[in-house]
Amino acid sequence: MQHSYASFLLAWCLRQFRGERTLAAAYHLFSGKKSAQTLQDSKWFQLEPFFGAWKNVTMSSLEAAAGWLAEQRLAMVVGDRAYRLTEAGEGWLSEREALFPRHMNGWRYHEVELPFWQRLSLIGQTLSNLNAGRRFAPICRDERTLRWVKRYLMDKGGRAALTRELYEELLRLLAAVSEEAALVFTLRLTSADRIGWTAEQIAAHLQKEALYVEFLFRDALHYIMAEAEAGRSPALAELMDGLAPVALTQSAQKTYEWLQKGKTIEEIAAIRRLKRSTIEDHLVEIAANVPAFSIAPFVAAEKAAAVQAAAKTLGTRKLKQIRDALGGAVSYFEIRLVLAKEVGRWMKS
Amino acid sequence: MDEIVNTLRKQFGHHSFRPGQREVIDDVLAGRDVLAMLPTGSGKSLCYQLPAYVRPGRVLIVSPLVSLMEDQVEQLRRRGEKRVIAFHSLLDEEEKGQALASLADFRFIYASPEMLQSASFLAALRRAPVSLFVVDEAHCISQWGYDFRPDFLKLGDVRRALGNPPCLALTATAPPQVRDDIIRTLGMREARRHIYSVDRPNIALKVEHCRSPEEKAERIIEYAQRLKGPGIIYFSSRQGAEEIARRLERSGAGRVAYYHAGMDGEQRLLVQQQFLHGQLDLVCCTSAFGMGINKENVRFVLHFHMPAQLEAYVQEIGRAGRDGAPSLAVLFYADGDGAMAQAVAEAELPHPHELREWFRRLPEGAGLDRFRVWVETSRFTDIQKRLLSYVLEREQSLVFGAPTLLGERVAAAVEERRRWKRKKVREMEGWVHELSCRRSRLVHAFGEELAVRPDRCCDRCGLSLGDYVGRESRQTAVFVRDWREELWNLFFGGRPPHEAAK
Repeated sequence: MQHSYASFLLAWCLRQFRGERTLAAAYHLFSGKKSAQTLQDSKWFQLEPFFGAWKNVTMSSLEAAAGWLAEQRLAMVVGDRAYRLTEAGEGWLSEREALFPRHMNGWRYHEVELPFWQRLSLIGQTLSNLNAGRRFAPICRDERTLRWVKRYLMDKGGRAALTRELYEELLRLLAAVSEEAALVFTLRLTSADRIGWTAEQIAAHLQKEALYVEFLFRDALHYIMAEAEAGRSPALAELMDGLAPVALTQSAQKTYEWLQKGKTIEEIAAIRRLKRSTIEDHLVEIAANVPAFSIAPFVAAEKAAAVQAAAKTLGTRKLKQIRDALGGAVSYFEIRLVLAKEVGRWMKS
Repeated sequence: MDEIVNTLRKQFGHHSFRPGQREVIDDVLAGRDVLAMLPTGSGKSLCYQLPAYVRPGRVLIVSPLVSLMEDQVEQLRRRGEKRVIAFHSLLDEEEKGQALASLADFRFIYASPEMLQSASFLAALRRAPVSLFVVDEAHCISQWGYDFRPDFLKLGDVRRALGNPPCLALTATAPPQVRDDIIRTLGMREARRHIYSVDRPNIALKVEHCRSPEEKAERIIEYAQRLKGPGIIYFSSRQGAEEIARRLERSGAGRVAYYHAGMDGEQRLLVQQQFLHGQLDLVCCTSAFGMGINKENVRFVLHFHMPAQLEAYVQEIGRAGRDGAPSLAVLFYADGDGAMAQAVAEAELPHPHELREWFRRLPEGAGLDRFRVWVETSRFTDIQKRLLSYVLEREQSLVFGAPTLLGERVAAAVEERRRWKRKKVREMEGWVHELSCRRSRLVHAFGEELAVRPDRCCDRCGLSLGDYVGRESRQTAVFVRDWREELWNLFFGGRPPHEAAK
């Protein structure tokens, strides 16, 4: 049997996980679960590109992919539903490096890619039909997008200039991604002549898998979004209006605001009527994402140093192993905070 | 000139009415309560849209499906209507708040039945009174109607709460019993009934008996290859639709796609639009496809599986031939299909055993609200939940003090439903095995007699398929340009000048 794109994606995760996480962790990563654990995992194991990048992933498809990898001796079982790549697997994966969507950034864009795409494709369809002098039914039914695009086009005025500008920016940006991704992206767009194709139809045309096509599409989309955000594509940058992703989940943001007002964990839990453990999860998320946030008030300096040392010595991120190594003197919360902060620092450097 | 005809031309671009439209519109304009049963594809929505341009006021339209509302809203907007809004569960709070505050500005207000349970929405409607209360797909009101929706039962109360505005109930498929249910539930007084035949004379009917599912697949592919398109092929399973779509594609039957409720909204809309724009020849789909799709030139509708009732079949084949040109409906049948339709239909009912278990675990002394939450959080399917809530609402007096009796009532209601569904499957099967005219049998199920038999009637009356075979060349491989040319084509049309393609 030929390998599927799912086995490639899973093999990539397994390499990053180094046997320290189960298939469930990969599942949560792809589906974009907003738990402190998954958020932290995706940073520490450098899997941010895949965060929330395959929202309808199923456990059974990952199991099938893992089964195939194991059968081919590319991966082996190292624990309950945990796998690690074999040497052959490492080699197999590095030969397929080109399949990796290198512009993909699920971490940053998984929540805003849909509205951005809806705006872009609706603007494309509208300009295409206006320029061709045709009436059309919008390819998007989302009222907010419809209203946004209408206002945008009215504010813009000069249609010819906008058409030129968008065409030139898209031409330049798509030329920077792979030819295959550029084709996939263009075929998804709707014009006056052609309603956009579904991922499945593009896959049949290219004789590739639909999942692979979905990832190519996102690769191009995220690249465009990143360039827009970086200010290198002024017309497309306007489409990011109100969509700039926030680093923290909404609830963690609230907790952070209370912390800045000098409240303790207990006080915040009481004010927000949340469990202490939930507030702790927020702190871990904040530690990983906000460079200015200091963990000193929550972990004594020597404990933090001990955790760092243990993690380094043991070469692991397994909380239990670290805690056991330190004779149980530190709490899980303290270990998570230290590791999260370290991830954040390492991310910046 | 007649003001109504004038509006028809100016606002809708039509020069004449289709059968029934004018009669219904006259009664609506006279302020009467009207029940209109017009065949599928006959332009039912015109019956409430046109009066809105003749008389000032607001029209409230209750519709069972979000996608149906969206299609209507989109069509109205395309005709230049700006004063239209749809209230449904997909609207967020902020948008809802804004729209409620300016409700008086709208001419057409579409709403789902759940929305009409909201006190704030009703209050806003009372501040901006409606001049016409329209219930689309009104057969959903009756538990003996195809696609029964318990939410619709409360529409009578809603109408009263709004001060009994004139009411127009629209349906394409309602046997006499269902019509009476509609009139009673909505509290319509001296209702004018405009009942037109469900028969669509330009659609020829045929049943193909096959020995096995594989033979069906082969025959259906053969038909799809040879018949003049475009066409729709219905399946009762998503998997079946996907599988045959792939086989058809490989067989070179043209441009094929599948469509079912398991796909995300964007992909569904793409397939629907491709089909509307003639960029697809065939759609393999479940019953999720077709509602609200106004494609005039569908030439055939095939059924891989038999629907569980004739009403569903009539709705689905009614998507063919809206332009009035000769069209064909073929149902493929193999032994055991009746049992399968039965199984599909009964899957909508909770199993007696599960139901007993569920009642056993029910907390002691639970009130009605607790019951509602308990239903909502149960593991029953949405359709099963709908049925449970309906029975619970009906028997709510038993919730306190007589839980055992309540359990029995629910079980009895489910049993009654099961018997009814079996009867419907048998009626459908009876039609499949009919030895004389199929058209006559079909209209008979709706309490009618066939007045005129068309030349191309059905396989029992004699039917030559040659009339429906077309050798129009279907594209199989679609030509795709280089992406740079595609992009140029999107923005500027045509092909890029040579240097721009580089």
